[in-house]
Amino acid sequence: MARIVVDPVTRIEGHLRIEAEVDGGFITDAWSSGTMFRGIELILRGRDPREAWIWAQRICGVCTMVHALASVSAVEDALGIEVPENARLIRNIIAATQTIQDHVVHFYHLHALDWVDIVSALKADPAKTSQLAQSISDWPLSSAKYFKGVLDRIGALVASRQLSLFGSGYWGHPAYRLPPEANLIAVAHYLEALQFQKQFIRIHAVLGGKNPHLQTFLVGGMATSLDPNEPNATVNLERIDFLMEVAKSAQAFVSQVYIPDVLAVAGFYPDWFERGEGLGNFMCYGAYPQRSVKDPSNFFFPRGIILNRDLTKVYPVDPENVTEYVAHSWYEYSSGSSIAKHPYEGETNPKYTGPKPPYEFLEVGQKYSWLKAPRYQDKPMEVGPLARFLVAYASGQPDVKALVDSTLAALKAPPAALFSTLGRIAARALETQLLASRLVGWIQELAKNLSTGKLEIHNGKMWDPKTWPDTARGFGSFEAPRGSLGHWVEIENEAIKNYQAVVPSTWNAGPRDAHGQRGAYEAALIKTPVADPERPLELLRTIHSFDPCLACAVHMVDARGRMLGRAEA
Amino acid sequence: MRAPLSSDTVVVGVGNTILSDDGAGVHAARLLQGDPRVPVGVTILDGGTLGLGLMPYVSDASRVLFLDAVNMGEAPGTRVRMTGKDLLGASSGFSVHQLGVADLIAALALASAGPQDIVVLGVQPANTDWGTSLSPGVEASLSWMVDAALAQLLLWEGGK
Repeated sequence: MARIVVDPVTRIEGHLRIEAEVDGGFITDAWSSGTMFRGIELILRGRDPREAWIWAQRICGVCTMVHALASVSAVEDALGIEVPENARLIRNIIAATQTIQDHVVHFYHLHALDWVDIVSALKADPAKTSQLAQSISDWPLSSAKYFKGVLDRIGALVASRQLSLFGSGYWGHPAYRLPPEANLIAVAHYLEALQFQKQFIRIHAVLGGKNPHLQTFLVGGMATSLDPNEPNATVNLERIDFLMEVAKSAQAFVSQVYIPDVLAVAGFYPDWFERGEGLGNFMCYGAYPQRSVKDPSNFFFPRGIILNRDLTKVYPVDPENVTEYVAHSWYEYSSGSSIAKHPYEGETNPKYTGPKPPYEFLEVGQKYSWLKAPRYQDKPMEVGPLARFLVAYASGQPDVKALVDSTLAALKAPPAALFSTLGRIAARALETQLLASRLVGWIQELAKNLSTGKLEIHNGKMWDPKTWPDTARGFGSFEAPRGSLGHWVEIENEAIKNYQAVVPSTWNAGPRDAHGQRGAYEAALIKTPVADPERPLELLRTIHSFDPCLACAVHMVDARGRMLGRAEA
Repeated sequence: MRAPLSSDTVVVGVGNTILSDDGAGVHAARLLQGDPRVPVGVTILDGGTLGLGLMPYVSDASRVLFLDAVNMGEAPGTRVRMTGKDLLGASSGFSVHQLGVADLIAALALASAGPQDIVVLGVQPANTDWGTSLSPGVEASLSWMVDAALAQLLLWEGGK
């Protein structure tokens, strides 16, 4: 029995530490410790709820818009505001763009290197690589000359010892199985994905203002100007053409590069369809309203819960049933650590009781994480693309059902294969494909409204605080790329009284609760093989399959050459 | 819409404005946004903590100036000037801990496009807890950051 520590887990956003017991080459128990420190209410208390989104979008350094969206939705819920159809469409377009972008970046730039050996790619034969690439996809960038060029660039990088983003890999690890030619294809697509994400995110520049942080959210709708013929309008017919062109290029990239790459990787690592299963409980708040934002039954991704891997039943989700434990988290509740609290009653009283750094191991029997432990009716839940897909599949969502069934048939795998590390990766890729197609559809709907003179984009009926009740509470949610995001706002006398955000990685990366139930990462690591405890590549595969994001933290440059997470207090 | 998202010279303030001193670079960028001494045609952005998400805003520029909080393990308010090469060299071989400016610079180099000149102006933070204001030592270095940024922009302007 040996304890291994991975700290920091590399190629993620934010700071995560994993400790695991290894016995006979397999993980027998695991603990996840994150440094995400909660306390957005400290910033928001007393502010105008209509401005909450501007602050809330800084919670996460990466997908800022998901917090903006959840925040305006929470305030709209509290005040009973229905947003116009155009605002709903533009929000769907912005959100789908963010998700597609994040999934592509996650697969190629954060996760692929768990499966792809960069150094092995150097041994590839460009002509054979070209043959292999053409056998799996019609993507045009596939000539021997093209791959020779990629090979030369990587060779130069390795020779100059400036591996930079590639610097943290376990190159040469025996768990890598791709032949050199497949590795070279993946490296080429790593570089192409860098270019892709750069072009694709221009959809946000069109709809959100030419600024890295979207400027156009508004309680009651969007602050986007719509006019078919006005050259200066944010959305006119020319801009629609541009959005459509970018969306179609995304469809091409996803279906001809991303999906074939995921299937190719899956083909070499089929045993990872049997590993990394985890909790077996999955939750989705639902996302992408097709009609009223108030009625989750029309959402493109349905709201629901799956328990104990049972795909024959979908349970309802009531946000009232979400609570958070701090039994193993470095916080104190005024009512004691063993009771869970609903976010409306949420408290953030940090109290670090862990070992003084530098230390070897955390005191995992006591408190060991800055993350709280969210639970739904006292049950731990996995959230993310796999949860969305399983809830949609079990709900009979026709697009999801067709795509999942055809993919499983192609892989000759049963639905149970989805409960795995590769299941998460496949669900993320298929979701990207589906959203790229829906993106085109939503842009078409917007174009139709534009051409028929349906231009309403903001409902200002409740804009004036004098129209508000003295007290109001609201819940706003979104399915962020990494999973279910909920914001809870409490308004009193025209100002924010309390505000809490329960982010996706708290569900997945959180520690045990007062009953000792493991969080999703902790459960998924059980039975994961570890061939070399010094280089636990297999552990990273499962953790990365969740797309960890603990970036609700500082991002300062460390002049000693690496980025610093939040210092452990 | 084919036009690049930025001009030839871009200033990016980086950091989280709700985590006190971590937001120093963004505060400096906001000051520059209202400063008449900034040469015409320079784009100034609040880059937040978007990391690789900033690529479209900087990859078409020839010169990029990052303003950021930098941990040097020195006294709060300590100032530093680095070039992109300093960070690129330094990040090689280390674990990539968070996807921030150093990784953005690495990605730009890897994509074989991107700016010729990258300069980072930094200040040592004191406090990175929740909060929207700067601690006194860092606040005092903000005018240095603005002046140093202006000097860098004028130097680039002269070198054209």
